[in-house]
Amino acid sequence: MTVTGTSPLATLREIAAAGATAWPRLFPGSRPFGYFCSYWPEELVLSLGWEPLRLLPAAATVVPARLPAQSCFPAQACLAAAEAKEYDFLAGVGFAHTCDTSQCLAGIWPHRNALAFVGPVTLTAPGAIAYCTAELDHLWHRLARLAGAQPDERELRRAIVLLNRIRSLAGRLDEMRGGLPSPLVAAVLRAGQLMPRAVYAAELEAAWPELAAMADPDHGRFPLLISGSLVESDGLYTALEELGARVVADDTCTGYRHFAGLVDELAEPLAGLAGRLAARIPCPCRHAHLEARPDYLLELARRRGARGAVLVTRKYCDPHTWDAVAVSEKLRLAGIPVLVLEMETVDPGGSERTRLQAFLECLSDYD
Amino acid sequence: MAEERRYLPLQSTRSLGRTIQRYYLFTRYQHLWGRPLKRPLAWITSGAPVEILRALGIHPVYPENYGAICGSRRVAPELCRVAEAAGYSQDLCSYARAGIGAILRPDLAPMGGLPRPDLLVACNNICGTVLKWYEVLARRFDIPLFIIDTPFVGGELEPHAVSYVQDQLRELIAGLERPTGRRLELTKLQRRLDLSNEAVRLWGEIRGLCRTRPSPLNTPDLFIHMAPIVVLRGTAQAVAHYRRLYDEVRERVRTGQAAVPGERFRLLWDNIAIWYQLFRFYHQFSEHGACFVTDTYTGGWAAELAPGDPLESLARTYTAIFLNRSVAFRVRQMVDLIHDYEVDGFVMHANRSCKPYSLVQEEIRHRVMNETGVPGLMVEADMADSRVYAAEQVRNRVQVFLEALEVRG
Repeated sequence: MTVTGTSPLATLREIAAAGATAWPRLFPGSRPFGYFCSYWPEELVLSLGWEPLRLLPAAATVVPARLPAQSCFPAQACLAAAEAKEYDFLAGVGFAHTCDTSQCLAGIWPHRNALAFVGPVTLTAPGAIAYCTAELDHLWHRLARLAGAQPDERELRRAIVLLNRIRSLAGRLDEMRGGLPSPLVAAVLRAGQLMPRAVYAAELEAAWPELAAMADPDHGRFPLLISGSLVESDGLYTALEELGARVVADDTCTGYRHFAGLVDELAEPLAGLAGRLAARIPCPCRHAHLEARPDYLLELARRRGARGAVLVTRKYCDPHTWDAVAVSEKLRLAGIPVLVLEMETVDPGGSERTRLQAFLECLSDYD
Repeated sequence: MAEERRYLPLQSTRSLGRTIQRYYLFTRYQHLWGRPLKRPLAWITSGAPVEILRALGIHPVYPENYGAICGSRRVAPELCRVAEAAGYSQDLCSYARAGIGAILRPDLAPMGGLPRPDLLVACNNICGTVLKWYEVLARRFDIPLFIIDTPFVGGELEPHAVSYVQDQLRELIAGLERPTGRRLELTKLQRRLDLSNEAVRLWGEIRGLCRTRPSPLNTPDLFIHMAPIVVLRGTAQAVAHYRRLYDEVRERVRTGQAAVPGERFRLLWDNIAIWYQLFRFYHQFSEHGACFVTDTYTGGWAAELAPGDPLESLARTYTAIFLNRSVAFRVRQMVDLIHDYEVDGFVMHANRSCKPYSLVQEEIRHRVMNETGVPGLMVEADMADSRVYAAEQVRNRVQVFLEALEVRG
């Protein structure tokens, strides 16, 4: 690792700010394998000697001609980066079937080693676990062929143990988030998707005393729940803090939802992975039961004492945009005011900031 | 409207109108006959295995077909606005928005909206949107939602995917047997599969007749006459309709009648129709002697169910439909159609409402043009919401494309 911050926490923040394309500079000698969605089974990649690297959109300067205007910013920005050969250092790229856009992106991805994992959409369907296990096995063998290696169960078990350790740490951090600055927690969790996993686990453990010392439960800020898909930078969290709010509950795809749930280490490894995917907090692209997401978000908001919710929908992100209606209704009926904030990128511009400010002012009056 | 249509009308269209009218009349009064006969009404997605429902006596209704009706009757924008006011973004599928609008404001909707369903069946082989749309419907009506998850087929259809879909079909059957109080009889299911296959075979043959020069049909004919293969799939009415249509089209071929008189260019259409512009849009082509002899969309209903175990056959067929397949598959499909139908050019509708169809089109266009040397035009629009249709811009692009075809000779 070539990055050396003034403290483990500073190192993690620096890595989070650098983004995916900084990997060759920061971690020379390691072999990253890119992936997009948190349903991608990172353990399989780790077991074959690669490091999983989450591909998050950087600011796109070019709009790729191969995607029409009604594509979300993350898809456009990542395709633009791939076309500009910014991802050529990757051993391959993994797509987990989620939304229609990501499926289409997989279909036109310019990188030669693009592999798809088509997990079940209906998590409680009969045969879903068996299908998912078989699909994981199928993927593992395809990855192994690409790596020129043999699937090795002992390596897979080691990867499971490492990622479970990270998920447990992320869970503890998520529990502490009410006392910590929101952009800091977001950055630390994001770093866990952008660096070698063993290094991350060690740095996060080393950062723990500093995090514990910083934690201040009596922050006096307005407690909010935030839900959305990718939040690839700290801009939104920073704006919320500047406006006097604190994210006490996070349901973003790059936040705690990425880490939620452990793999059963006593189970057969692939069945254990399938079990975790089925039991995870559902994202809008999956169906567990009709009220699974609204109920979960309401329960989360209550458990963490959130007094308002910001539902971030990316422009042209269908699954989150659909869910925003049902989730808003459920939260509002329970007395939790909601702002549905549509954003192109996640760095709030003037209008988004004004909407956030107005929402928070209304909440203060409401209180 | 009549003036806008400058190609040979089909006699069968009149009987089609009666057939579809009967279907919607039957649907409208289902509450009178359905309850006493224990024949519930289901709203179902266009790619779902309806044969199972029909074998159990369940009456299927297609909100997507209704969305197309709203589009062609040009009421979709108003209905979409109602849904948007209820919180559904303008960027979401216009069939879904029009359908939700029709539920909220039946007074604005064709036929006063669709009758309230007893259950919902959604199959995600056509898009992820149907899952979210049907979740909204299930909450709204507080009724059972059955989901068939058909894994995306990147290359070959894998046995574990077929087995997974079969498991779900078994659960679907068990779930549908409860409200009907009937057990699924395999002979009845087989009868429905046979009827589906017969209609599909006829539909495929009708489409195939357009290989003839001049083509006996223009794609708007196929868009109009696809209604029974969707809403009456697995019925004798659908078979009867396609027999009539086949005879008429074959007669056109025998007598050399052209759908577009003086056919000069043979084109391929890709994507759902622009329903509110159905005749006006194609008229821009037909007045230059350009006939759409084939398309990818209506061909989606031309896949026969494989013989053998009915559930395995249903699982394989419904999982492997073209919108659930890779870009390479769709490129091959278009290239084959271009060769089979001796196509001079193709037009792709970049449909704002349909992501799985549209987001990969530019890549497909590029690859198909490279492989065939045939030019392709991209037109931006929406299938039902006319608010995003820029008529003048489209006209200019079509004009340039036709001029390019002229130059190529």
